[in-house]
Amino acid sequence: MHKQRLAGWLFLTPAIAYVLFAFATPIVYNVAFSFEHDSLSTIGSIGAPWAGTFNYTAMFNDQIAQSAIVHTLLFTVGSLAGQFIIGLSLALLFSNRFPGRTIARSLVIVPWLVPLIVTGVIFRFMFQQEGGAVNQILVDIGIIHTPIDWLGSTSYALLTLTLANIWLGVPFFTLLLYSALQEVPAEVKEAAMIDGAGAWQRLRLVTIPIILPVIEITFILGFVFTVKVFDLVIGMTGGGPANATQLISTWSYTLGFQEFNFGEAAALNNVLLVAALVCAPLYLLLSRDQLSRSSGAGR
Amino acid sequence: MSRRRKKIALRWLSTLVAFVAVGIMLFPIYAIIVASFESTVTLFSTQFHFFPYHPTLANYQTVLLGSQSGTVTSVTISGNQLAHVLTSFEIALATAVLTLVISVPAAYALAKYRMRFTVFFVGALLLAQIVPSIVLATSLFAILLKAGLVNTLPGVVLADCTYAVPFGILVLRAFLFSLPNEVMHSARVDGASEWQTFRLIVIPLARSAIITVAVFAFLAGWGDFIFALTTLNGASFEPITLGIYGFLGNYLANWGAVMAAGVVALVPAGVLLVIAQRYIATGLTAGAVKG
Repeated sequence: MHKQRLAGWLFLTPAIAYVLFAFATPIVYNVAFSFEHDSLSTIGSIGAPWAGTFNYTAMFNDQIAQSAIVHTLLFTVGSLAGQFIIGLSLALLFSNRFPGRTIARSLVIVPWLVPLIVTGVIFRFMFQQEGGAVNQILVDIGIIHTPIDWLGSTSYALLTLTLANIWLGVPFFTLLLYSALQEVPAEVKEAAMIDGAGAWQRLRLVTIPIILPVIEITFILGFVFTVKVFDLVIGMTGGGPANATQLISTWSYTLGFQEFNFGEAAALNNVLLVAALVCAPLYLLLSRDQLSRSSGAGR
Repeated sequence: MSRRRKKIALRWLSTLVAFVAVGIMLFPIYAIIVASFESTVTLFSTQFHFFPYHPTLANYQTVLLGSQSGTVTSVTISGNQLAHVLTSFEIALATAVLTLVISVPAAYALAKYRMRFTVFFVGALLLAQIVPSIVLATSLFAILLKAGLVNTLPGVVLADCTYAVPFGILVLRAFLFSLPNEVMHSARVDGASEWQTFRLIVIPLARSAIITVAVFAFLAGWGDFIFALTTLNGASFEPITLGIYGFLGNYLANWGAVMAAGVVALVPAGVLLVIAQRYIATGLTAGAVKG
């Protein structure tokens, strides 16, 4: 039916226009910028001088960019490991029946609602060397004797940033893994129990294999979310001290918007984009239900 | 111990562990609220106070009324944040509205009309969710500059929708699959046009999913920092997230004001958590990607 075909396309038009404007064009631009000598005066127009691979060479010789790539890697791996372990533990905990379960479960998502820049500020405050809550608690309970310079020392700052990001991602991991655990049939767990499997064996051999698809998608989304962290760093450390917490995202921002070196910023952005898209095939594979689901013909 | 008593003990132990965990998750928010009522002198002391030490409203005075307690070197610091709150509200509301305008009809078309394009477009949306904001920010700045939309409200709203549009379409589409085709079919038999069917039948039935998407888009617009930072460099208005950043920018951070501004920025999230908790939980499990 022509009328319906037309209606379908009309309903889609704003979305297609938006995706072209806000995703397709920027990605093409970003590739173009990375091969140009761009400045603030040429960035808004076409026809900046061609730069060949200059920006890429510059980026790979830029020590801060190199360290930003390493930091992003460490930060991402550390964050995901922490978020998964804590998130799964909480999800398992919430799967038991206990008094106050519902309210505890709904409170866990609160951190997720805090604007990221505010989270950064809160953690900067809490991790202060003098008068910070974290040092005070650790000293009071006797774990450390002298306050640690969490954010001012180059050896601790990235770790501190990672801890804050773990805090930030735990609600997301908990909620997704919790809803997956609800789907595990009780009979399967009971059967394993009757066969004499201990709690750890049941988790490792029964529960985890069943919820594996959800674990995978949670990791992918968590990965995508972590490689692009920006606000948290700006709020907590601003990339310092001595670029010790400079990530790809923050260094790209500094290059582009503070040094107006848009070419190198674009080259670095492309590294980030490629890193983020590494998991795209797996993501699409896991989302194949959404992709292949046939549209209900509304005839 | 009997099996039953052991089970009860285990339950209360779970409660204890759960509330310790929740306590750790909520402590930072508690800390900022307490700190927002302390004087900057107290905040700079070497002692962290777990309970209000010398509670004062001075920080809120600075933030909401723009008092003199800020440093003179910065323009932002004297500017009162009430205007920033209003700007954030406008941005968040506009982001929610634009997201719905784009995503509701698109989700309907992708769920209920048979088109070859669907697979391709849904794939594109899934990939769009993966693209890091900073990658978009640099190029969107160039595009908005060309379009004359840098330092304008529409500019930042267009950029902010990048968080919510792919998410919104995918969540709404998944929901619309559950609507039986017969509902639309009978509307058409009664002589309704495609548009009438969409507006009078589909939208009311999809209300809960629409609210979920609206809440998420609102929070994305409210909490956005990176697009405000990159597209509003030199605008006459700025959202609360930039206001907070402005406070931080000073050599000596005005902690008290930063804390109070931070608490102000938490308010809508808190309100939405109370009135729309169900929708937030739904949205999170639907695979929300923020940032």
